[in-house]
Amino acid sequence: MTTISETSVPRSRKRVDGWRWTGRIFLALMLLYTAVPMVWMLLTSIKSGFAAMQFPPQWWPSEPTFASYQKLLDPQNSVGQDFLRFFWNSLFVSVCTTILAVAVAVPAAYAFSRFHFPGRRFLFFAVLLRNMFPAVIFLVPLFILMRLLGLVNTHGSLILTYLTFGLPLAIWLLKGFYDNIPIQLEQAARIDGATRFQAFLLIVTPLSVPGIIATAIYSFIGAWNEYIYAATFLTKNEQLTLPVGIQRFFSENTTDFPGLMAASFMMSVPVVVLFLILQKYFVRALTEGAVKH
Amino acid sequence: MSTLAGHAVAPGKPLAANPGVLQRMWSSRADYLYVLPAIVVMLIVIAYPIYYTIELSFFKTPPGLQLRDKIFVGADNYTAIISSDVFWRVTLNTVIWTFASTLIAFVLGYGAALALHRDFAGRAVLRAILIIPWVISAVAASYIWKWIYHSDFGIVGAVLVQLGIVDRQPNFIDNVHTVLPSLIVVNIWREFPFAMIMVMAGLQTVPEQLLRAAKVDGASAWQRFWHVTFPHLRSVSTVTILLLAVANFNSFIIPWIMTGGGPSNASHIWITHIYELAFGRQRWGVAAAYSVLLFVILMVLGYFYVRALSGNEKREQGA
Repeated sequence: MTTISETSVPRSRKRVDGWRWTGRIFLALMLLYTAVPMVWMLLTSIKSGFAAMQFPPQWWPSEPTFASYQKLLDPQNSVGQDFLRFFWNSLFVSVCTTILAVAVAVPAAYAFSRFHFPGRRFLFFAVLLRNMFPAVIFLVPLFILMRLLGLVNTHGSLILTYLTFGLPLAIWLLKGFYDNIPIQLEQAARIDGATRFQAFLLIVTPLSVPGIIATAIYSFIGAWNEYIYAATFLTKNEQLTLPVGIQRFFSENTTDFPGLMAASFMMSVPVVVLFLILQKYFVRALTEGAVKH
Repeated sequence: MSTLAGHAVAPGKPLAANPGVLQRMWSSRADYLYVLPAIVVMLIVIAYPIYYTIELSFFKTPPGLQLRDKIFVGADNYTAIISSDVFWRVTLNTVIWTFASTLIAFVLGYGAALALHRDFAGRAVLRAILIIPWVISAVAASYIWKWIYHSDFGIVGAVLVQLGIVDRQPNFIDNVHTVLPSLIVVNIWREFPFAMIMVMAGLQTVPEQLLRAAKVDGASAWQRFWHVTFPHLRSVSTVTILLLAVANFNSFIIPWIMTGGGPSNASHIWITHIYELAFGRQRWGVAAAYSVLLFVILMVLGYFYVRALSGNEKREQGA
């Protein structure tokens, strides 16, 4: 979190600086815009269904209750059973995607950074171009492809798909990292008798751990939040991931807003916590991968 | 600067055009192994769908028939699209949606990054809070905002009523005039943090000496920004705007979950419309033709995208 503060300019604080006040007011407004929806989600989630449906609204819940959370987390209850299963499914798919994405992106990014094989630039941009195409275009053909591979209604179909849409940015981020690791380190290892692969595995990979963490966060968040493929490829209730599961569930219970807000909150917790803990790696990877000139 | 390392491997040989491309490919065959897994996955999941979509766009699948019993209709699907009123409505919506979301999200993110660049107490916490909407799933965000815009119990309407600005709860997302702006507000809420992170990262590359020198020379805060910071952020800004534009052009979840394109197509954008044509009305051929048109537009955007990125590469290699 301190990466930026280290480099910021110490400025004199004597003059009343109009720009500084503009900045403060602007930040206050942005904080309001960002936080109000999240705070309202939390406040609603601890109201009873009756208290949520009042006009004028209860700005502060008069009788806070954790009933919605209890219902979602109770494995005896049918709602809780579904929710916990969706949660587990999301976790499984996201973790598998993350591991595979790192395993595929690391060698590719290394090659794009170090080797000068013909067609390197073409392939690199072809990989990046993938980023441009929307999921909808791929839905029908991928569905047919998954049927050919026998993956319809399995989590494998999602993992394979998520892998491809996460790869381009992952490779791009990691390439920036490898570009910044001095080649002399590997050359020294080669002189000492290591093969190129050994140098890659033993010298370069440990140094690129921050980049790998950033790639992993990116893949995990992408897989955790994905909706459209999951909505198309999975039809059995017990296999749904959270975004689809929540949507299916609340299209049947349209008025349970406290429950909906509690579910939205629970769904956001893992990714938000993960991101907040590891965000410095992510910002650093963007700095080195995407932004340097 | 960073590719200097790369040059050490292949010491500055100008790429000879034809002689020995195959030879060089053969001699660096081991290098391809590193890229192979990525390429194979990409080919399966990208090349095949693109081919399939183009083929399907020339066929019709009458309702009740299996997808494989399609009938060749030539360019009928394309003429049907261009001559329909919905097409123009949806295109206009998409243009408004993409431009407004991209521009406002970028400006807000840029401003927030600049304001956060200076050190103050609580900066790290504030930055973390501002990033959260970008991490939250779009499905959750859609439900949160649907509740905020609720026509009876929504908080925004309630505040407006309490302040006496309107006399009854406005119905933001069931009104053809307010629905698109309301959804754009949600989209910007989710996207400005991305612009903010990118610009924050870019700000770290602005040389401090230059800023200090400009200050010593008596440049005002605005002049320092305009003549030092702004030019340094130009390439990251281009990339950010392009990434945002592509993401917005391709957005689906927020309009789909919040309104499903309604009321009367007022919030349908291309992607939601294609999805509805294919999965709602089973008009696979028309949906595929739409997708092909989308490819063409994205290719144009992609040209600028690649040019902006390779511009960065060239500058790097020149450095």
